[in-house]
Amino acid sequence: MSAQYAMIIDSSRCIDCRACVAACKVANKVPEGFWRNWVKQSLPVPVAGKPGRGHFQPGACMHCEKPSCVTACPTGATYKDASDGIVKIDPKLCIGCGNCIPACPYGARYRDPVRRIADKCNYCPERRAQGLAPACVDTCPTKARVFGDVNDPESEAGRLLRANTNRLVRVVNTKTDTQPHMYYLAATAPLDWPAEAVIRPPMAALIKAVTPGVSALVGLAAVGVAVMAGREFLAGKSKDHEPRDRS
Amino acid sequence: MAPQLQRHNGFDIFIHWFNAACWLFLAATGLGLIDNPALNPLGNGYPRVLRALFGSGGNLLLAHEIVGGLWIAAFLLYLVFNLRGALFFLREVFSVSPARDMTWMLKKQIQMTMGEKMLLRLGLDPHLPPQGFYNMGQKAFAQAAIVGSLVIALSGMVMVLSQLTLDSDRTILVAWAIMLHYLAAGVVFAGLLVHVYMAAIAREERPAFISMFTGTVPEDYARHHHLLWYEQVCGGAAPTPPPGALPLDPSRGAAPAPRKGG
Amino acid sequence: MPDQSHRRLTRRSFLKAACAGTALAAAAGQTKVLSGLVAEAGAAAAPWQSKFSACDMCFNRCGLIARVENGVVTKLDPNPKFLKSRGMLCAKGNAGIAQLYDPNRLKYPLKRVGARGEGKWQRIGWDEALDLAASKMKEIGEKHTRCGMWFTAGSDLQSQFVTRFAEVYGSFNVTSHESLCLLSNNRAFLDTFGEVPFADVLNSKYILMAGANRFEALVTPDSIDLMTAMREKGAKLVVLDPRYTKTAALADEWYPIRPGTDMAFMLALSHVIITENLYDAAWVAEKTSGLEELAAHVARYNPEWAEAECGVPAADIRRIARELAAAAPEAMVYPGRRSSDYENSTQIRRSFAIVNALLANWDRPGGLLGAREVGLKKPGYDAPWYDDNPPERADAGRAPMMFEEDGSYVLMREAVLSGEPYPVKGWFVFKTNPMQTAPDQGKTRRMIDTLDFMVVVDITMSDTAYLADLILPAPSYLERCDPATALQGSSACACVVQRDPVVPALFESRPVFDILKGLAGRLDLAEFFDFDIETYRAQQLAGLTGAKEALEQDGVYYNPSKVYGIYEGRIYKTLSQRIELFNKRYDQMGLDPLPVYSPPKKGPDKALRLVVGRSAIHTQSSTQDNALLNELEPTNALWLNPADAAGLNVADGEAVEVASSAGKGRLPARVTPDVPPGLVYMATGFGSISPTLTHIHGNGCSIASLLADGYDAISGNAALHETFVTVTRSAS
Ligand code: HEM
Repeated sequence: MSAQYAMIIDSSRCIDCRACVAACKVANKVPEGFWRNWVKQSLPVPVAGKPGRGHFQPGACMHCEKPSCVTACPTGATYKDASDGIVKIDPKLCIGCGNCIPACPYGARYRDPVRRIADKCNYCPERRAQGLAPACVDTCPTKARVFGDVNDPESEAGRLLRANTNRLVRVVNTKTDTQPHMYYLAATAPLDWPAEAVIRPPMAALIKAVTPGVSALVGLAAVGVAVMAGREFLAGKSKDHEPRDRS
Repeated sequence: MAPQLQRHNGFDIFIHWFNAACWLFLAATGLGLIDNPALNPLGNGYPRVLRALFGSGGNLLLAHEIVGGLWIAAFLLYLVFNLRGALFFLREVFSVSPARDMTWMLKKQIQMTMGEKMLLRLGLDPHLPPQGFYNMGQKAFAQAAIVGSLVIALSGMVMVLSQLTLDSDRTILVAWAIMLHYLAAGVVFAGLLVHVYMAAIAREERPAFISMFTGTVPEDYARHHHLLWYEQVCGGAAPTPPPGALPLDPSRGAAPAPRKGG
Repeated sequence: MPDQSHRRLTRRSFLKAACAGTALAAAAGQTKVLSGLVAEAGAAAAPWQSKFSACDMCFNRCGLIARVENGVVTKLDPNPKFLKSRGMLCAKGNAGIAQLYDPNRLKYPLKRVGARGEGKWQRIGWDEALDLAASKMKEIGEKHTRCGMWFTAGSDLQSQFVTRFAEVYGSFNVTSHESLCLLSNNRAFLDTFGEVPFADVLNSKYILMAGANRFEALVTPDSIDLMTAMREKGAKLVVLDPRYTKTAALADEWYPIRPGTDMAFMLALSHVIITENLYDAAWVAEKTSGLEELAAHVARYNPEWAEAECGVPAADIRRIARELAAAAPEAMVYPGRRSSDYENSTQIRRSFAIVNALLANWDRPGGLLGAREVGLKKPGYDAPWYDDNPPERADAGRAPMMFEEDGSYVLMREAVLSGEPYPVKGWFVFKTNPMQTAPDQGKTRRMIDTLDFMVVVDITMSDTAYLADLILPAPSYLERCDPATALQGSSACACVVQRDPVVPALFESRPVFDILKGLAGRLDLAEFFDFDIETYRAQQLAGLTGAKEALEQDGVYYNPSKVYGIYEGRIYKTLSQRIELFNKRYDQMGLDPLPVYSPPKKGPDKALRLVVGRSAIHTQSSTQDNALLNELEPTNALWLNPADAAGLNVADGEAVEVASSAGKGRLPARVTPDVPPGLVYMATGFGSISPTLTHIHGNGCSIASLLADGYDAISGNAALHETFVTVTRSAS
């Protein structure tokens, strides 16, 4: 089975210190005002004496099984790498059309204002190439995150996934279940935040109208040409094709 | 050699083949730049092969952008050096005489695909109305090519600018540009199939094909295929210009310089 | 072929192993191939160089690895072998790069040319700067005795040289940042157990946390161990805090105790523990003194009484006492750290210490631990004696149990302002910012106005530096060679770290050691600074076999000394040589030998109590202008309970004017139930005066400008929570 890198997060360990956010910003030179990862807060109105009701939820691109961002990208600059399951962006192929940004129901993407292309978490490939964990995992004080190939039963992530099959929680939106590969152990909050994936009108038009329309038109032309060629070369050329003088 | 009529000058010939080469390249690479399960007109194998061929998707994009830029630049230069020719061409292409040209278009299509007998069977006069410098089929394609190219060039520029100057809150422009780029290229491409067949393969248009190298067509061919133009150039019984068509002013039509050759 | 770099152990497994056994054994063995992390086999050569250092973004000094690419530090990573931090680096640690490459850094020595606070500076050379400082120090020494110079150093590995300099120069007047922070807590535990303990949070089963916010005010390893203990070992966390902090949010139980009434709760705990015989009688009899006095003392402090005082239901107090006792000795009333809150804070913290002593939460797993042996030497020197000096520190005699070596900032300021007992006219400040961290900014300002000469050594132009006569640029910790320092983190380790420059010092910055050396040379004190840091370090490490190698190889040296039972057969450093429930010295000095409860002072009518607190993003007032951290927490707001807000007709986000006896300020209100009625809170370190701190100049409100200047009667530690403010809707 090919690899599927993923994160398994015990969000009950998260203290919202945002070390992961800072580490990510530095490691990936994320420009000011943008983030590749986050910590969401769930802090209901406090009740004295009641057990812990606050919950913090670290997150980032979930490298979904059915990534809506990939659907929104016309060029394949955003793609799910079959070899490791990571949803990647080819910066050289991305032209910054912005389609993928509202297409992510988790808000995991931004358009880099300097490079003017889409960007998001890519699990720190430069670090992994050196055998280091992604910056957010490496730095996390309470070790809330475990990263690895969940398809590898030998990896810590794989073991955790298998050991907790019934307890894993995913953050999904019912309208767009992208099948995220971000697993929260046992429980997490908030769960009601993911927005619907939005395919912008031009892209929707491209998918629903333009592509079938153009295909039909080209097909029709091709059929026309084939028929003409057939007449000309197979059916034998009739002499009567010569345009006649007006008479 | 049969008497010849001058049909295209050197600029025209150059720009046509340069354009054709660019188109072939841009259409091929452009199609390879689309890689999305919901769009892929040729499946995902084609973009994959093309990207492999160019080393990476990034290279493919870069090549497409460079050639696209050259293509636009060449047209701008063409306009500078051959403005009159270009204007003549535009005037010709957009001069449509609805009644005559539509009849021609309809009958021509039936004739080409189902034969002249079909025209007769349908009770139609098998004679096609006479055509000018371009017949309506050529005009239709040329119109599509001109409008399409403008859309393609402008939307292409929006896409390139997206990476250079466009702020994030304007990306909807880029999204629309992509959609229009694809639409225009697709429509022109459909026409192109017919254009290439007619120009390069269909035997009856062989003289026109040759003219795209030599610049001239035999008088005989011109009389048969572009009677109105022939009459105008050779002074025969000059027909009344089709309604709505711009009157031809040979003195201004310096570029294609319709004249007797031979 | 598997590359060696692929053979990593997971941090979790490493840490688990390290926590369970001894650190050294784990570091050597227990490796596991971490196939999950490697992107591609045959990884390329690292694009960076890796260099060890120790963080300086707060006082925790977590071990780190700096990744340097082409001479530029591009990332700071935790050192996985650094056990005190449990191999982590927090947001501040990660933002060290933003401190190093801060465009707002001081770049060269600056001499004030305009009026104080006018912000007019002249760039001067180092020789001129040092000549100026030396001549001023000489002048002041001659005119006012050498105690006329006051030296203040923040928490820094080189601060010891400031103390050394002050001593050889001849001034007793040295203050640290600590008297604005934790001295009353230290006092309380020192005066109970004879030393300031470490909390073995990791192995604790029941943690009662009052006056501490460990999930925001990060202390290593306590903050991390607290989570590990809770999630992996089922430890229970009970939090008492008027404010709904993140620690409160994650606790098993949280009580918004009335501010300033922690002692009532703790005395009631003692009451229940004694009346219900829940304490470890044998242990108490063997190791402590004063049980009888204590029993008699707390007889009146029953839970019902406490409920009336502190607002926590009596039944809960009783239950918590029983639960705590049941979990003891693997339990604790967490000692806390910053205790600069009330005027009786030493006594409040004594009431914490006493509960721990009753339950024998001491010197055993899960309780409070004594300091371990590290073995770092302190290179000695004989400071000269100056006959004309006054007999004592200028701040002496105002707080009976003030720490000699730390002094009291608040009291020193009084002494300077009043000129009593003798004039103090010069101030040397290194990397601390009393204008923003000490209460009553206006008073600090007035005090500075009385000085003849003030020199500040710092990385950026803090509000304090902004008022100096001379500003000297210091490099950040990543550019310096620093002496070795011993650190202890509860049961985690007793270790040594040091620093070597990761990159060369930027601009014209010079470490304070070099500055002091330059001054010493100009003041005939060269013999006391006739060494460099490398040789100093060698002296420190002498006798620690393998320390040098370990520091080079792992970035940290561990001394595998005893963790538990270190008091077996040892006496306690108190007057009675036992753990003192009843403090003999206090009794002799006429102080309350047992904590006597007095209700917190009431503010004027309609006034709200202002309290201080921390977030995990900023360190005191030193990081708010850090570009990265500022992005994470860019400004401050006044937390205001909805009931109070309604009464004041203030909506969330609306600007309010806040006024106290010390001063006033303006900032937006954050209307939230996270503070109780009658209490307001704002983050520290914003609303800077110094215009070079571009992110925070005129952004938010400086809490220092509002805090009243009370102090703990016993230790002289600042008492910041005795501040009352009036809040009004801002006119505009
Ligand atoms: C490689 C294949 C192509 C061949 C063999 C070809 C051939 C020709 C020939 C022979 C003519 C002259 C017709 C005449 O003068 O009556 C012509 C005209 C023209 N070609 Fe092409 N062409 C090719 C590709 C293209 C492409 C890619 C475009 C633009 C998208 C294009 C646009 C035109 C236009 C606008 C005209 C003038 C009007 C018309 O004949 O429709 N051609 N082409």
